[in-house]
Amino acid sequence: MNLFQILAIAIVTGLLALSLVATVRGWATRREGLVWAFVWLCTGVAIARPDLTVLVAGAMGIGRGADLVLYCAVIVMLIGFFMVYARLRRLRRDLTLLSRHLAIRDASPTPPPTNPPCPAAKQIDEKHYPQRP
Amino acid sequence: MSVDCSNNIQPTTRPHADVPAGVFVVVPAYNEAPAIGAVLHELRAVYPNVVVVDDGSTDGTAEVARIAATYVLRHPINCGQGAALQTGIDFALLQGAEFIVTFDADGQHRVEDVAVLLSPILCGECDFTLGSRFLGTCVGIPPLRRKMLRLGVLFTRLVNGVNLTDAHNGFRAFSRRAAQRINLRLDRMAHATELIDQIRLSGLPFKEVPVQIRYTPYSLRKGQSTRGAIRIALHYLLGRVLL
Repeated sequence: MNLFQILAIAIVTGLLALSLVATVRGWATRREGLVWAFVWLCTGVAIARPDLTVLVAGAMGIGRGADLVLYCAVIVMLIGFFMVYARLRRLRRDLTLLSRHLAIRDASPTPPPTNPPCPAAKQIDEKHYPQRP
Repeated sequence: MSVDCSNNIQPTTRPHADVPAGVFVVVPAYNEAPAIGAVLHELRAVYPNVVVVDDGSTDGTAEVARIAATYVLRHPINCGQGAALQTGIDFALLQGAEFIVTFDADGQHRVEDVAVLLSPILCGECDFTLGSRFLGTCVGIPPLRRKMLRLGVLFTRLVNGVNLTDAHNGFRAFSRRAAQRINLRLDRMAHATELIDQIRLSGLPFKEVPVQIRYTPYSLRKGQSTRGAIRIALHYLLGRVLL
């Protein structure tokens, strides 16, 4: 085992442990934690036994193990970009809806209520703010 | 406003009493403090219900607007013009608006033209009217801007399948039932094209009406650059794929 493998496996092992701990302690959902643990496990195996990736690559008709890893990395990254982009859009959408809600709620001057207030609110008003019409 | 359903509606600034009840003018504004005061004074002289939606401005637009507008709504953060328009439309509908007009805050639209825009709707001729600067006249439009807007029209024809003479004019009017069918989800400037989609899908009749646009140094500075226009087109197409 060369120096790179030792360092990389140490890091990957740490990350694997972290994702397991996160799953157990509830920092991440179980699915998230397990997916990440699986990713780190695969990474670790690929680093420790490069010859295994050659076997898998050969079975898929790709010449070199390094190529297989590269293709997988590109595909996963593209999916990741797309998911982050979609999530950002949803977040943006939620922010807009929240801003709209606040803007309408806090419109100035406060427009007269379009619906009669609910009985409970009316009781509270009469009790605490008798001067209010 | 006495409704004249002949085809020669004249622009008018007749005062309050003539305006049919339930007309709401929605003015989306982002950092328009230098211009919006004058625009609102002109509008309020004729229309009693003017709703300003301040889209998270940082230059005190809301404070200026409060002096003259009937209602001022404020987005806590900048959400884009499409979002501001939708907020204004939602609010006007909640207040029982029967007719909604959207009007730009930078002074490029004329208050007189609001009546022109409303009249086909008041006559029951259609549910949407869209202001067109190319049916009407525009003062001081730079040649490059004219070409960009022509491209915008072509884009609308290709993508929306609707033939309009001016696709990107913020001066529009809706009947209540038309406004209820509008739900703008593209927050930023791409909403203009999205709106045309929704008008087409609503199946309600629409009409383009000639209006005059005043190009002033101020409104030109605030308007779209050519690069901005390309970004808008991309944003619209992406939004159409993803939403």
